[in-house]
Amino acid sequence: MKVAFLLNDLQLSGGVGVVVQHARQLSTIEGWEVTLVLVREEEGTSWHGYEHLPHLHVRSREQALGERYDVAVATWWETTFTLFELSADRYAYFVQSLEDRFYQHDEAERMGAALTLNLPVAFITEARWIRDTLAGLRPGAPCYLVRNGIDKDVFSVPARVTINTDDPLRVLIEGSPSSWFKHVHGAIHAAAAMREPRHVTVVCGDRKALGDVAADAVVGPLSHREMAALYERSDVVLKLSSVEGMFGPPLEGFHRGATCVVTPVTGYEEYVEHGWNGMLTDWDDLRGTARQLDLLARDRELLHFLRANALETARAWPSWEQSSQFMAAALLRIGREPRPDADAAAARMLADVRSSIDVHGAYLRERVEFARRASRFERPLARLAGTAPMRLLLALRRRRVVKILAYPLRPVTARARRLMS
Amino acid sequence: MSDWQERITHETPPAIQAEHELRYRLAAPLILAGGRWADLGCGNGVAAAAALGEARPAHAVLVDVDERAAAAAARELGLPEATALAADLTDPRDLQRISEALHLGEGEPPVVSCFEVIEHLSSFVPLLEWSSLLAQEHGVTFLISVPNDAFWSIQNPHHRTSWGEGAFEELRGLLPAEQTLLRQIALTGSALVGWDAPAQPYELVVAAGGEGTVATHFIAAFGPGQQALRSCALAVQADMVEQRRWERQRENDLALMQKVAVEHEAEVHALDVKIIEQGEALRERTVWFEEWRTYIHELERELGRPLSGASQEELPAAGPAEPPA
Repeated sequence: MKVAFLLNDLQLSGGVGVVVQHARQLSTIEGWEVTLVLVREEEGTSWHGYEHLPHLHVRSREQALGERYDVAVATWWETTFTLFELSADRYAYFVQSLEDRFYQHDEAERMGAALTLNLPVAFITEARWIRDTLAGLRPGAPCYLVRNGIDKDVFSVPARVTINTDDPLRVLIEGSPSSWFKHVHGAIHAAAAMREPRHVTVVCGDRKALGDVAADAVVGPLSHREMAALYERSDVVLKLSSVEGMFGPPLEGFHRGATCVVTPVTGYEEYVEHGWNGMLTDWDDLRGTARQLDLLARDRELLHFLRANALETARAWPSWEQSSQFMAAALLRIGREPRPDADAAAARMLADVRSSIDVHGAYLRERVEFARRASRFERPLARLAGTAPMRLLLALRRRRVVKILAYPLRPVTARARRLMS
Repeated sequence: MSDWQERITHETPPAIQAEHELRYRLAAPLILAGGRWADLGCGNGVAAAAALGEARPAHAVLVDVDERAAAAAARELGLPEATALAADLTDPRDLQRISEALHLGEGEPPVVSCFEVIEHLSSFVPLLEWSSLLAQEHGVTFLISVPNDAFWSIQNPHHRTSWGEGAFEELRGLLPAEQTLLRQIALTGSALVGWDAPAQPYELVVAAGGEGTVATHFIAAFGPGQQALRSCALAVQADMVEQRRWERQRENDLALMQKVAVEHEAEVHALDVKIIEQGEALRERTVWFEEWRTYIHELERELGRPLSGASQEELPAAGPAEPPA
């Protein structure tokens, strides 16, 4: 079985890590040849962090174009651009999230990512919510569920949880601060709003994007082993994401005996049970989240109950070895079954293109309308700023005495400035 | 694999025996329909024999990783002419041997039961491929079951893979689309019987299932016979004497193993201490030997003799020997 997984690059990330894990496991099966095809042309082959995978082949797009595969698998919406350029008997799409949600409503990528779900491919996905959504979007399209495994060597499950009765509540916040949907700063604010003693650790690969934050420790980027050690030293993993695929980090925490406080983000339902192995908090409710953390800090019996149950949940979660057996079986099925109906897929895609054009047109009209309304205010404001009294006021603003006198009005002026901008 | 841990024997607690027997009762109408029957992971055949009662299939293929278990199953079932096969279900060649033993295409289509086996396999992919092929191309009906590991607070060391609702959903997505799915759930109960009354059957009405019901096992059937499966339940009298014996045996075994482990730990500790002592002694003797060697070399230098134990490179440069002082 000759399989190609298409990746943009090999930069360390959750999504890439999942694909590499599957490729690694599949390459150990007798008779399987697995290739990672890096499709982003401008990037050289970065193999950093994956040197321990000797059985895997890594090819550039150009190199892969000359080869023939049994199944070619796109793993990110942009990699579908190259998918059909490869010569393969079957084409598949490993959907790790509904990737259009990573972009704001007015970004063109949002439409592009959504349209790729209309391709005539067999789908493989890692979460039940994605499978159910795809079943609604593409009824009749083959879709196989292959949930992510956990590296049980690195995130090994201890026999029991060490009870924390004396130390402050150890809160771990993880995520990329530059991804708006991870809400890392929101989580830090929630932890900072706690009244009970706590020790907050933020794991972040991009310190610059994080800025100055109210945390006891900021660490990262960390290897998987370092993360496992950190989870072991934590009581709670705090994640307030609004977009997730399979939602891996709290599950990794479960494996090391940490419970979680999370939003009901997609993917949570795979393993988080409120009041059993973790706590659910509401959207945008930082105060409520802080109160839940305070509850765990005060009620150590509850904390231990949740942590012990989290460990039990982790114990039943499949390993990568098991997960990749499902992947192997799914790829074999895809290779055996007829190709999905291209006509139906094309019809669906064109219908979506048409509705996307309508939506995009509506956005443009809305923007033009906003610009027209704004221009009505801009001219009078510019005239006002040019008048002598206004110039005097602006000059006085720099005086220290005026600054002191105007200080109580800061909330009002700040709001006015925001409105003006 | 110890019988008392993973295989069903006559000493296994009645509740667990009943749980296994019920799965075979589910399959019994298909097993007795006239076609060949293969039982993958047949074990000692205790549960199958109990479920089939007096009836027996025309031809059985009893498969287990342990040849002795397959032979024991043939004895337990009273099927001396059954084909007892020792096979590794992760090996496509062994699966081919089972196909041959089923005589595909002859007579009624066969039925294959595979209860509580998948979780013991290092790879279930060959079995899935093989079973899907046989179901779709040869009309073989398969019944498979996996446990719900999420509701066991201890990890079973014999299980190579972990199963729960999610993993079962992954599995069923890979089986042929026409399938029957069942949840096996645990029942508990009690009975009031007359003081001197003999054993007699009781008719029970049990409300079982519904939303939020937690399964102990998940069962999937596929192939042409899957539609014939019907929900069923089984309650048996608890054998308190056997149960107590079984529990005591486990406790005793555990206590014994703990004692052995403690003894081994003590032995390992003693060996560690010995290694440290010997290391110390070795270091002392090395120092002592070095001192003696230095002393002997000094004497040899004074006598102008070559240094004993020294290589050619370490020998003093050739020159006129100085007379000893």
